[in-house]
Amino acid sequence: MEKILLRNVEKENSHKIEVYMKSGGYQSLRKVLKEMSPDDVIEEVKISGLRGRGGAGFPTGMKWEFASQDIKEPKFFVCNADEGEPCTFKDRVIIEKDPHAMIEGMIIGAYATGCRYGYIYLRGEYPIGKKILERAIAEAYEKGFLGENILGTDFSFDLHVHSGAGAYICGEETALIESLEGKRGEPRIKPPFPVNAGYLWKPTVVNNVETLANIPVIIERGGKWYSQIGSPDCPGPKLFPVSGKVKRPGVYELPMGTPLEEIIFEHAGGIVNDRKLKAVFPGGASSSVLTPDEISVPMDFPSLAKAGTMLGSGAIMVLDETDCIVKAALRLIEFFRHESCGKCTPCREGTDWLVRILRRIENGSGREEDLEIILSISETMENSFCGLGMAAHNPVASTVRKFREEYLNHVKSGRCPFRSV
Amino acid sequence: MTLEEFRLEVKKLKNSGKYPSRKSYLLPALWIAEKNFPQINSEMIKIIAEELEIPLVEVEEVARFYAMFHTERKGNFVIRVCTNLSCMLNGGEEILKEFCRLLGISPGETTPDGMFTVESYECMGLCDGAPAVTVNEERFSKVKVEDVPKILKKFGWKG
Ligand SMILES: Cc1cc2nc3c(=O)[nH]c(=O)nc-3n(C[C@H](O)[C@H](O)[C@H](O)COP(=O)(O)O)c2cc1C
Ligand code: SF4
Ligand code: FES
Repeated sequence: MEKILLRNVEKENSHKIEVYMKSGGYQSLRKVLKEMSPDDVIEEVKISGLRGRGGAGFPTGMKWEFASQDIKEPKFFVCNADEGEPCTFKDRVIIEKDPHAMIEGMIIGAYATGCRYGYIYLRGEYPIGKKILERAIAEAYEKGFLGENILGTDFSFDLHVHSGAGAYICGEETALIESLEGKRGEPRIKPPFPVNAGYLWKPTVVNNVETLANIPVIIERGGKWYSQIGSPDCPGPKLFPVSGKVKRPGVYELPMGTPLEEIIFEHAGGIVNDRKLKAVFPGGASSSVLTPDEISVPMDFPSLAKAGTMLGSGAIMVLDETDCIVKAALRLIEFFRHESCGKCTPCREGTDWLVRILRRIENGSGREEDLEIILSISETMENSFCGLGMAAHNPVASTVRKFREEYLNHVKSGRCPFRSV
Repeated sequence: MTLEEFRLEVKKLKNSGKYPSRKSYLLPALWIAEKNFPQINSEMIKIIAEELEIPLVEVEEVARFYAMFHTERKGNFVIRVCTNLSCMLNGGEEILKEFCRLLGISPGETTPDGMFTVESYECMGLCDGAPAVTVNEERFSKVKVEDVPKILKKFGWKG
């Protein structure tokens, strides 16, 4: 398939503005400013069917429309480059190899929604990306794509990088906004949504890096063309970061709806040492596990939801037959316990209890009743305040359901069957 | 950097016009402290609070909330070993053990000479190179146990 999102990344110095412009970069911005009204842009994005790539899959055109209709000023446009979901490294590729695609997408979005100021909220663990983005922004200012009166129009937009400092919860858009305001990253209650009351309680559009990287090509080739790629109800190209026990871990660009099986066995080369596949988390650390007989599922938001799991960030994490499922679930819930902001009880206490119970099962001192306790904690966690707690229990509960025998085996034999000692 | 120089940097930051709200300068100010001192201590917190005109406790709670801000003394080189899923599946825990064994410290500790801090870290987005390690801003991918001494020597380990 023709590469769209990764069209530039193989080029030498792909992060530089000259290289980006040589292949038509910033032509979409020019077209938007000279030929299209903000409403035209929103309409085009709506026609494309683009849905947010940050995890929730919200229609981008609709988000922009809500923001454009709010009359409070000034408005802010924030790019979510926090990429903290375990085993997700797709935005990193765009940030480091094609930063101008996301910057151009952001400027177009700011024009469509009437935003005057922008921030890229970048995770603290991407210092190399920070340097690249800061240089790219400086280049865009030099060429007159940022700042006052962009390309001689009366549209002005200023853009800065804001570094996070190692808190996964700041990827959640309202926690991100709190963090941008100089506070601890604790989520806010929704509604109001950021499009109406975000940074400093002003209208704020928050979009993921990959979402924004789609925008220039939608403008260039039209929403209709875009809407014909991949799954009809959830179209477009998608970046899939694949890692774990595959032969060729990496980021693969494929149409939305590509079967999981094809991604693992064709693109990522299959399982290391030709072992048997054991389990896959198909959409990041908070997705429910899939077993080998479930991997024909098309990778898009609706199909994975139907399969009882989720697309999330699209991060595919692969386990082989030699890996312990209890250990894997434990590692993931330990992560969530560490990252829980502590604001609400179901998540703060639930993640802690799940860690304690899984630790004892993993080291051989668990009890059979523990499995029911896990499922009941998991149910309670559904009532958490934000998406972190609402989904954190998924890898644990789903592995208890689908790999019950393996859990029981730990309990009965009093040890982890996968450990040699 | 001296504390006076630090104060000047914070003043400069505050006058950069980057944010419409003074409090938004807090994380960038803490980053200046993190990068230029072995530890973010109460004196720096006081300077930030004075310059940004926000309560001391609000600076302190933010400094403590974020994992990358060291309110305890850190080494010249912070070694982060990822132990999240893909790195764990590919041997990240053995890598962590080897760093700790060679340096004679536990995860989260700093060597007595102040050279190295070892941290057991969550996913750093380098999973295609699992197991992954970073030392300050430098990345190491597909690290094997026998690579560990080489990595340490690169940063002046005499062991
Ligand atoms: C716990 C949690 C963590 C999140 N982390 C990220 C993240 O790292 N990057 C991201 O783009 N979105 C993340 N999101 C989703 C954002 O809240 C938000 O939906 C997204 O940035 C919107 O952009 P989009 O519409 O372009 O997808 C996270 C959500 C939750 C609940
Ligand atoms: S669900 Fe977890 S992360 Fe979200 S607000 Fe509650 S404690 Fe914080
Ligand atoms: S799991 Fe180790 S870098 Fe992502």
